[in-house]
Amino acid sequence: MNFSFSDDQLLVRDTARQLLADQCPPSLLRAHTDDITAARPLWEHLSDFVPLGIGPLVDLCVFMEELGRVAAPVPFFATACLYAPVLEAVGEHDLDAVLDGHASGTVALAGADGVWHPNAETRKTFVPDAASVDLVAAIAADGAVTLLASPPAQRIETIDTTRCLYDVETAVPGTSAGTISRAALDAVLARATVALAAEMVGTARRLLDMTIAYAKDRIQFDVPIGSFQAVQHKLADMSLDVERAWSAVYYAAMAIDAEDDDRDRAVHVAKAAAGEAAKRAAKDGIQIHGGVGFTMEHDLHLFLRRAFGAEALLGTTGWHHDRLADLLI
Amino acid sequence: MHLDWGPEVESFRVELIAFLDEYAPPQTRPRRDFAMSVHDAEIIPQWARDWQATLFDHGWMIPGYPPELGGRNASPVQTMVYLEEMSARGIPRALHFPGYAIVAPSLLDFGTEEQKALVPAAIRGDAIWCIGMSEPNAGSDLAGLQTRAVLDGDRFIVNGQKVWTSYATVAEKCCLYVRTDPTAPKHKGISMLIVDMDTPGIDIRPLTHINGNADFAEVFFTDVEVPAANLVGALNDGWRITQGSLAHERAGLWVEGVARLEQTITGLVDLAHRRGVANDPIVRRRIAEGYQRAASLRALGYKGFTSFAQGSSAPEHSYMKLASSEQGKALYELGMEIQGAYGPVVDEERGEEAGRWALSFFVSFANTIAGGTSEIQRNIIAQRVLGLPRSG
Ligand SMILES: Cc1cc2nc3c(=O)[nH]c(=O)nc-3n(C[C@H](O)[C@H](O)[C@H](O)COP(=O)(O)OP(=O)(O)OC[C@H]3O[C@@H](n4cnc5c(N)ncnc54)[C@H](O)[C@@H]3O)c2cc1C
Repeated sequence: MNFSFSDDQLLVRDTARQLLADQCPPSLLRAHTDDITAARPLWEHLSDFVPLGIGPLVDLCVFMEELGRVAAPVPFFATACLYAPVLEAVGEHDLDAVLDGHASGTVALAGADGVWHPNAETRKTFVPDAASVDLVAAIAADGAVTLLASPPAQRIETIDTTRCLYDVETAVPGTSAGTISRAALDAVLARATVALAAEMVGTARRLLDMTIAYAKDRIQFDVPIGSFQAVQHKLADMSLDVERAWSAVYYAAMAIDAEDDDRDRAVHVAKAAAGEAAKRAAKDGIQIHGGVGFTMEHDLHLFLRRAFGAEALLGTTGWHHDRLADLLI
Repeated sequence: MHLDWGPEVESFRVELIAFLDEYAPPQTRPRRDFAMSVHDAEIIPQWARDWQATLFDHGWMIPGYPPELGGRNASPVQTMVYLEEMSARGIPRALHFPGYAIVAPSLLDFGTEEQKALVPAAIRGDAIWCIGMSEPNAGSDLAGLQTRAVLDGDRFIVNGQKVWTSYATVAEKCCLYVRTDPTAPKHKGISMLIVDMDTPGIDIRPLTHINGNADFAEVFFTDVEVPAANLVGALNDGWRITQGSLAHERAGLWVEGVARLEQTITGLVDLAHRRGVANDPIVRRRIAEGYQRAASLRALGYKGFTSFAQGSSAPEHSYMKLASSEQGKALYELGMEIQGAYGPVVDEERGEEAGRWALSFFVSFANTIAGGTSEIQRNIIAQRVLGLPRSG
């Protein structure tokens, strides 16, 4: 058991962090809220990293964590964590263009209930970034994959303005791309779930870091509010949740990479732990910021939005606990 | 990043399991999550003493130590495998930890050659030790301790009182923290003495735990004479030792703590089936939440172990202590709740598993208090890990 990053992983992390610090400031998130094309230049930079989507999951998580830290409003999750592995599973030659960064895509699977499992519905819901990618891979009840160019898509208004979700009409002409087996689909979703959990840990850590910095800075009653024990204990509990979620995510990633017997449980543990960490960091983060945390002007809400958006995607904390219960009881 | 422990551990693991299969006594086999059951009349029964000595003699007591200290010079990774295998089986090393977990490392770090000679017996359990830190007016604020020791020629004269001293009634020796300079700032006037518990002037009055066991005591010192040679480390430098010994206490214990949580969850699943609530969605979700928290905590422990094995001290101990003790309490409470009206029943006939859940719930309170309360752990995390300013 070894939780330290390799030199290559550290390189991915540092490169991404540097790039995102320059190219993805909160002002970009605000610009993207008004006009989703504002994030296109950022996506040009990030599409180079798409091959991570079909490589070792630990490496992908390293990158996703960095995207979560800045709440990057790009179709990386859709393209690298959903679309590319589906194409890979069905042996689709278009994969090369995706890996080269020339094509982007997403996956349409969930029906009206919002749960990511195969179903016969043709109107798919919660499809990430459907309007900003080149192709949508629609997955039918029997696993048949059809690639659709610009299918009718309607934005679902959510609190998260950093990741756009759509209803997509898939009963339209497209190109058949073969069939994905149930096992292969489950494997893609397990990886995507852990990758999303990694992103959430990045967002949670950002919220925690912002809040620690604020607690050291903000003076009330002549002292920094971070010296008050009620504030300190909230921050201690937030950081405990972030630390354990980080560890659970990388444990799950290692378990999947090693095809370990514990991997099914570990996936649910990772997403639920990340959900608990992200929600707590968001809620207590706002509380510790006081009134300024409640303003549109302050950046905190951008990360609160991202945290609760990701919490609801690919299964909430409660949903994952219930699936875990099915494995345990 | 990788999951496996590498090839160096497999023969080690095989050897350990063969040893356990051959030597572990029957009393270590049943799952005992309430560390001291009310059914043991003695605080440290004879089988536990024999078992600890057997572990020592075969080099399995503290594997990382050399053979003369009950080990086999195991690597940190091998030690982790040892802790995992022992705790997965619920096999305790000993029923009293001060000697091997606190006294031994403190004396090895700070003791004279004569004092170091006491270490093997402390680890083997031949000499039982107690730790005299807490006092009526010095609990969390340990540095406020007032038990006085005055140097008088070649001996100290000790007067004062300790409290909550575990194993005091059976201990041969005490690691006693005393004030040797009442004029210095409070952290700078403390020293550590080795005291024989049968020295005249020591009065031990047992105190009963809320589960009914008399496992700790008040200890009164009246003009107790302690040889000056029993001073450990430098005069007035005892605070440094307390910091070390608390760290030792926390170091390996997380593995056992997390394993206990996992065994408790297995027990909860069985209990839910027996009580006919295994399909109750609320019970199911709460058991799964417990599992998730134990599993994520185990991962965090491994992360801390990675930095530890690479030689850097990790801040994870406070997280582990805080989270595992709080989670344990919650799980036993859930076990009681699942039984409805029968939750508090402890009679052998009608209580589930002879009252295991209610009794363990009682004992679990000790874990969020002893060895630094949960509130103190949060203070440590906030100030030492997150760098927040000290209050007041
Ligand atoms: C089973 C058991 C075995 C023990 N064995 C030993 C032993 O062998 N040797 C020994 O020396 N001691 C032993 N202890 C004592 C133990 O170390 C103390 O109980 C512990 O340090 C707390 O001290 P206290 O009981 O005086 O509580 P207090 O320090 O009075 O605390 C009371 C409450 O106030 C809170 N509090 C105190 N200070 C702060 C603060 N700064 N910020 C926030 N909250 C605070 C605490 O968290 C707690 O909730 C044992 C205790 C137990 C329960």
